[in-house]
Amino acid sequence: MGDSYLDLLMAQQEEAPTEEIAAEGGGGIWVVADISDGAVAPVTLEALNAARALADALGAYVYGVLLGEGVADLAQTLYQAGADAVRVASLTADDTSLAAFVLEPYLRVLSDLFEAEQPEVVVFGATRAGGQLAARLAQAFGGGLIEHVVAVSLDEATRTVQASVPIYGGEYFEIVACPEARPQFLTIEPGAFPAPFLDTYRTGEPALLEVAPVEPRVRLAGEAEGFEPPAVPLAQAPVIVAAGRQAGDFELVRQLAHALGAQVAGDRGARDAGWIEAGQVIDVRGVEVAPQVYVAVGVRGDTFHNAAIEGAEFIAAIHPDANAPIFQVADLCIEADPKDVLPALIEALG
Amino acid sequence: MKIVVILGRVLDPAGIVVNRRRGRIFVNREEYVMQPADACALEAALQIKDGSDAEVIALPRGLLPDDDDVLRQALSVGADRAVNFVGRIGNPPYGDGVMARVLAAAIERLGETDLILTGATTLDTGQGQLGPRLAGVLGWPQVVDAWAVRVAGDHVETVCHIPPPLRGGLGGGNPYTILEVDLSAVVTVHPGALKLRYPDGARLINVYRDEKAVEAWVVTDLVSEEALQPLLEKRGRDFPPERERSVRLEGAPQEVVQVLASELRKRVG
Repeated sequence: MGDSYLDLLMAQQEEAPTEEIAAEGGGGIWVVADISDGAVAPVTLEALNAARALADALGAYVYGVLLGEGVADLAQTLYQAGADAVRVASLTADDTSLAAFVLEPYLRVLSDLFEAEQPEVVVFGATRAGGQLAARLAQAFGGGLIEHVVAVSLDEATRTVQASVPIYGGEYFEIVACPEARPQFLTIEPGAFPAPFLDTYRTGEPALLEVAPVEPRVRLAGEAEGFEPPAVPLAQAPVIVAAGRQAGDFELVRQLAHALGAQVAGDRGARDAGWIEAGQVIDVRGVEVAPQVYVAVGVRGDTFHNAAIEGAEFIAAIHPDANAPIFQVADLCIEADPKDVLPALIEALG
Repeated sequence: MKIVVILGRVLDPAGIVVNRRRGRIFVNREEYVMQPADACALEAALQIKDGSDAEVIALPRGLLPDDDDVLRQALSVGADRAVNFVGRIGNPPYGDGVMARVLAAAIERLGETDLILTGATTLDTGQGQLGPRLAGVLGWPQVVDAWAVRVAGDHVETVCHIPPPLRGGLGGGNPYTILEVDLSAVVTVHPGALKLRYPDGARLINVYRDEKAVEAWVVTDLVSEEALQPLLEKRGRDFPPERERSVRLEGAPQEVVQVLASELRKRVG
């Protein structure tokens, strides 16, 4: 007679993966960390949070990978954020190839690592470095890459990640999956997933990766002194701060625009006050705009002005009159005199 | 010098209305325009051509009908040749993984290409993987999201937005950094970096009159059927919650300011 159900169950339990297996690798969800200013970038922690949830549903482990100069100390942050094991490719004193992000050395380390480990899912931050590495690795491994992911779910039957990606800047989302090819590569949009709770009781000993010297073919040749990007026309500006007749001190409006990296505009009242030029008047008879962010400071919001900002994704309005029409079209409304609010707002934006 | 520019088209967002409540997309005006970042890449190629004897060849970034139009636009502003892919056109969308293989095969057939330029992102999906994937297939170096591109001898000088903390402490306060890359290379260009020139009137008419202005290459002559298997599958659509307007922030001025500042920081980055 064959084994009883209880025997089979016990045998399975004996074969259950342990922490040692997590350290050895094989399959799993891998998160490649972004380093910013000597710390783990927030997008990496968010990616670990998303990876942890997927891994728990799949019964898989989460692995973190750190690459760069003196990054070994950051491994504990990855453990605390949910990684089960961490691999570190750190620099030695005479090897500066990984000091700044240069593609080839990073690519070599990750290619060798993933060739050996055969991950199921690889997650990067949707950053300059993450996007390049993900695309090159996806092509090398024949995998699909889903970029700028803002939400994930799981098709458990096929162990396929289904990811939502924004279309036309988030007007709607498409749900995309990579059903066949493995690994599945994802880049996570910064800010799309919540940051995890850092559990200080979670610790581990990271494994060091060997770094073979690679001659980079792209060289950092220095700062582009005096380079200024071309001016964006007001109609295409992503962020606009507009002044109205009730703006009070126009210098504060300028300072707010500087803090936000925004272009300055205004309504006809601001033009009458001599604060802006004719080409900066937001109005259906002037310039119509569709920025990501529009801050109306002391703008009352007549019909022509409000129609000209219909395409704006987010409108914040500050005006002393509770009945100002701008409040009907704004997303966030502050009923206050701008001169009482702007100094604190500029300071808060730092 | 031979420069290949990869160009795509996108449904003009001005003709689209998204109804979040109903979960539907209404296309009021179906008009396609050249991907803005690809237009910048085309202008970068033409600027290099202006000061040299470079040849500029336009290829499509997808296997879709009517891509012919963006290729004709490229010819009308000064590209020397344009090649479109025919056969196996339409659905399913092949994706950048497949297109990288098709384009790499086409570039090998063109022979002795020095520089490939394309847009850094697409307007609709925000994808930026085609350039790096193509560089991967060809085994070439890459620079992504360049604001300026200049050929200097046997290498290309590009200007990219890399703030000092991300460039290994390399000095200076300007976040724009010079990256040098040896030829042959793939460079993707930031949308808005350059403004595409206007076409010459007579050239424009001639390009659209000449049925054979755009060469046609059969895609299955370039890659095998297996290489045309799409990697990604679309499984549905989702819509964000309906926009809630006129949310009044109330409370002490300091609290109100903090809420607004945090919302602005989140959106502006």
